[in-house]
Amino acid sequence: MRNIPSFVETICILFRGYLPRVFKARGWVLAFIIMVPFVIVHIFVILGVVPNPARLALELYHNGYASVVIPVIALVSASACISEDIEQRTLPLMLVRPAPAWALPIGKGLLWFSWCSTWLLIVVTLMQLVGMEVTTIPRKIIALVFTLWAQLGLVSLLGLIFKRGILWAGIVLFLWDPLVTLLPGTMQRLTFSHYLQSLAGGQYSINNMNSLLAQAQISTPFWLAATVLIAVGALAWALCGIKVMNMQIGLSGRESEG
Amino acid sequence: MSVITLERASLRYGHILGLSPTTFEIKEGGGITGLLGPNGAGKSTLIQMISGLLRPSSGQVLLFDEPPFRNPNVLARIGLVPEGDRFPVGFRADRWLRMMGGLSGLKGIALSASVDSALEIVGMTTRSHLTFSAMSKGMRQRIRLAQALLHSPDLLILDEPFNGLDSEARTALMYMLRNLAKENVRVLVSSHILGEVALLTDQILLFFRGRLLAEGSVIEIRELMDRHPVELRLEADDSKAVAQWAVDYPDLVAIKMETNGAVLSVKNPRDFFQKLQSAVASGQLSIKSLDPLDMNLEAVFQYLTEDHG
Repeated sequence: MRNIPSFVETICILFRGYLPRVFKARGWVLAFIIMVPFVIVHIFVILGVVPNPARLALELYHNGYASVVIPVIALVSASACISEDIEQRTLPLMLVRPAPAWALPIGKGLLWFSWCSTWLLIVVTLMQLVGMEVTTIPRKIIALVFTLWAQLGLVSLLGLIFKRGILWAGIVLFLWDPLVTLLPGTMQRLTFSHYLQSLAGGQYSINNMNSLLAQAQISTPFWLAATVLIAVGALAWALCGIKVMNMQIGLSGRESEG
Repeated sequence: MSVITLERASLRYGHILGLSPTTFEIKEGGGITGLLGPNGAGKSTLIQMISGLLRPSSGQVLLFDEPPFRNPNVLARIGLVPEGDRFPVGFRADRWLRMMGGLSGLKGIALSASVDSALEIVGMTTRSHLTFSAMSKGMRQRIRLAQALLHSPDLLILDEPFNGLDSEARTALMYMLRNLAKENVRVLVSSHILGEVALLTDQILLFFRGRLLAEGSVIEIRELMDRHPVELRLEADDSKAVAQWAVDYPDLVAIKMETNGAVLSVKNPRDFFQKLQSAVASGQLSIKSLDPLDMNLEAVFQYLTEDHG
């Protein structure tokens, strides 16, 4: 009787197998994207040209990391996940193995998620150097990491479903999500930003200044917001798995020529 | 028990029929079966169905009496060497093989032993630390074969494995496949070159334009080829002498005179070549060159299709 790897074993095999990949160019580009905004702000703080570092730290977190960096790294990481194997036509080589095919997307995704999460953890922890309140740091880390989890899952799913899925994901993350400031009450719950801000502590409710909201900002309890992001990510990864499980992919690509 | 069973299995790509309803069976046990046909004959389509990448549009494909599509019990018993040069970018071959072995259910010492053994079989032990981009095409082909051998499959499927290999590598691969077949592995090899398949096996499945045209031994296929009139251009200073010699040949179908020779249409070309060789050797005939015009597999298949029609 031959041994067939379990779901967890498959994830571990892919994680170990692809681990050296995160130490190549793309991995360092992601680390660079995450670290650079903080480094620049830190230099300004050291030079003493920032009158209110605490406010700048919040601006950096919400307007920099939450709004731009997380969607960017979700898009860049997703293109290194299962979409890469479809583009490079290497997915069939994995699909002819007995390992469960539905574990392949999350197996690759978890690696990049872990890599980016590590750098996010480092950068948010370091934000205390530029005036971030130490007690708020844990929930701010959780907010970014959970949002990345959900966004990475969604981007990977769109990349699997649509030919230009990453582009569609970019539209969702950069055009739809910022509308959180304009959307009425319950509609805000259809954006990642809403849950991120509910977890991190709303940007403007903390500052209580420069409110740009066209609509009153609603909030979701911490644990509920965390659960929603985890569930959205898990659902997206599960759907990715189902998609790969049923995907007819020939050796020449999605549509084999025969 | 059968290794492969196809029951009226067909595959469509939208409106295009990749493989017409096909029925055949390959029994369990070692040996080599050749899938022969020109490009676009449906060989790769068949291989993709057999290896569980594509589901048949109709009919049934069974491997070891089970459908192969995403079926771990079947996939654990097959190894696929795909056509083409596809590898993940930036990987070292040995690390990639370890990952592929892991996905095939190998772990620990067994995994290390399998990787070492597969690398030894393909003669890549000392070069496995290279990345794919640093390898030659022949080396990558060997790694492709190694990944299929890792888990000691009962069925090894190779899609055009000789493409791009030099003669030394071809000979080595053939030797390797014969050894595997002796070790009770069923080997399925696709090729568009009869000569290659003939060197490997006597069992051939002949495909043309998406359908199984014939199933049989190399001798039977050769006989079919011999019945096909082949056009040969004989270049000579004396066209008349060529014509005079050729008209005596009983399997001559047609002759077309040219300024510097003649174009002959002959059946049973192998017999013709022997006679021509004797004539030239004995000084009966003097020729400058011999150029077969349509002695390719495509022409034979065209002929066979008309013949079957």
